[in-house]
Amino acid sequence: MTPRLLAKKDLGRFIAALAKEAEVWAPVKSTDRENCRFGPVTGAEGICLDCLQTRLPVKELFLPQREILFRFKSDSPARVKPVSDIPARVVFGVRPCDAAALELFDRVFLDPAGDDPYYRHRRERTALIGVACDDPGTACFCTAVGGDPHGTAALDLLLEDIGDRWLCRPLTEKGERLAAARGPAGKDDCAETERRAAAAREQMTFAPDLAQLAEKLAGAFDHEIWEELARPCVNCGVCTYLCPTCHCFDVTDEERHGRGARIRAWDSCQFSLFTRHASGHNPRPTGTTRLRNRTLHKFRYFPHTHGPLLCVGCGRCIIHCPAGIDLRETLETLTATLR
Amino acid sequence: MNTPGRPPLGNPYLPLPVRLERVTVENDARDLKTFELTFSDPGLREKFTFVPGQFSFLGLAGVGEAPFGIASAPHEANLAFTLKKAGHVTTALHELSPGMELGLRGPYGNPYPLHTARGRNIVIVSGGFSFTTLRSVIVHLMRPDRRGDYGRITVVYGARSPGELLYKDELRAWEALPDIDLTLCVDRADGDWPATEGLVPNVLREVAPSAKNAVALVCGPPVMLRFTHPVLEELGFSPDDVYLSLENRMKCGIGKCGRCNIGEVYVCKDGPVFSYRRLRELPGEN
Repeated sequence: MTPRLLAKKDLGRFIAALAKEAEVWAPVKSTDRENCRFGPVTGAEGICLDCLQTRLPVKELFLPQREILFRFKSDSPARVKPVSDIPARVVFGVRPCDAAALELFDRVFLDPAGDDPYYRHRRERTALIGVACDDPGTACFCTAVGGDPHGTAALDLLLEDIGDRWLCRPLTEKGERLAAARGPAGKDDCAETERRAAAAREQMTFAPDLAQLAEKLAGAFDHEIWEELARPCVNCGVCTYLCPTCHCFDVTDEERHGRGARIRAWDSCQFSLFTRHASGHNPRPTGTTRLRNRTLHKFRYFPHTHGPLLCVGCGRCIIHCPAGIDLRETLETLTATLR
Repeated sequence: MNTPGRPPLGNPYLPLPVRLERVTVENDARDLKTFELTFSDPGLREKFTFVPGQFSFLGLAGVGEAPFGIASAPHEANLAFTLKKAGHVTTALHELSPGMELGLRGPYGNPYPLHTARGRNIVIVSGGFSFTTLRSVIVHLMRPDRRGDYGRITVVYGARSPGELLYKDELRAWEALPDIDLTLCVDRADGDWPATEGLVPNVLREVAPSAKNAVALVCGPPVMLRFTHPVLEELGFSPDDVYLSLENRMKCGIGKCGRCNIGEVYVCKDGPVFSYRRLRELPGEN
């Protein structure tokens, strides 16, 4: 697939053209620059590509924080009405780590043994345009977990900065169509992206042996180290809500004036109610057992079942943890302590 | 019957409408009721196939849903579930009367290994109200056209008091039959039921079913399980021939909502029935 070029000054026209065919979503500025969020756009106005990452990862467009599974009327409770279709969408400005997380979601939600029709529908109706990272943040560690600042996982088209233009790298047929109107890039342009990618990789020095750690974690369930690791944790759950790979959810009913809906909403393994039985018995009754479960899910259980780690190194859990827990330190401590 | 049943619908979150046909109060405390259901769409009963040990979600619009083991046998006309009034879903379900509609999703999970147990003796050990899916097993095995497929059937089933035993009429009928060895036990006996006094693991030791060519199917509260394993080991059961059914809180039933895991397995889709050998490999988190 031929790499193409998009002049930055043409972004507005590019977005407007996309918006004729589909709903376009992009990181949108808010008063707090750190708090960009994916929102609908029709041109370049409001799009923020200066901020490294949106506070909420792009997962919210595929597994919304709260979504209606179906509606019902109380006088005929079993006659349920499924939710309607969504329009075709293009999401612009996705960072490679957040996109890579969708590939991990696919393993859970597009499992042939139990397909999730809501997730599948959103995935199939959405094209993803990524923007490569040339200047990773201080909490970024994608390279340590199999990612790359210029990574292409789950993307249809990757934009790589080469000054006043982007090199557009089509990765799928969908991506090729999105970039079809742009002129082809030259060899020098491609070389420039290689140079920038290498420079970005060099900025991320955290490189533990996580394959080896996954093996060590196999026998670490009863180790006393979990107490120490969990001591600062207040089980607030922010790491799970902001994590691009956390996908646990709750299902509840809401009803008012004879109409209601079954709602799926994000939930967190850090909350005690998450696993508590109706009898009162709780398999994970303490903060330590819950932090252990989250860590083992990401670095032992998921890789054991699916292969890759359930972490893309975006660093949100590090930046936003109110107790100052740094997942990189956790992984280093585990690597150093476990045999 | 060797393939577990799977939900007949495309969208796994949409419940199938079912009608409540009959409610039976099972115990003196009146907090255990058996609900017999039929599909509002008769064509769905044909498509809804399951093997004993599988579970379904029952729900009420506006209240929510929760998972329950299927207590009826596959050949019985009505689907049956025995529910203890405990949380908000079961409390609401306990208020229902026959004729009302509710929603059902399923069947889910892996059943008891009845297919591979053909030609073998079956030992069933259960305590409290978890007897439900094992009732499904017993009724399934006792079917005249199937009874010859299996050897001896030994059942040890216990509850706190005689009034807390489930399915009393059936228990009485089984006690009178020659081709099932049923031992009932209670913590405290009273006048109107001739049950042995004693805890399930101790009574199991006395009954001492032979492990030779036998498979043990076990379901009960965690404390019963803890003391039953050593007895089965004493009796010579290999961990490959002991199967347990587990419970955990769950929301989806299809391995996505993330809460019913024990280590890397999900109780909903990798269980709820596990061999004791498999269970021993998992973290002690249940």
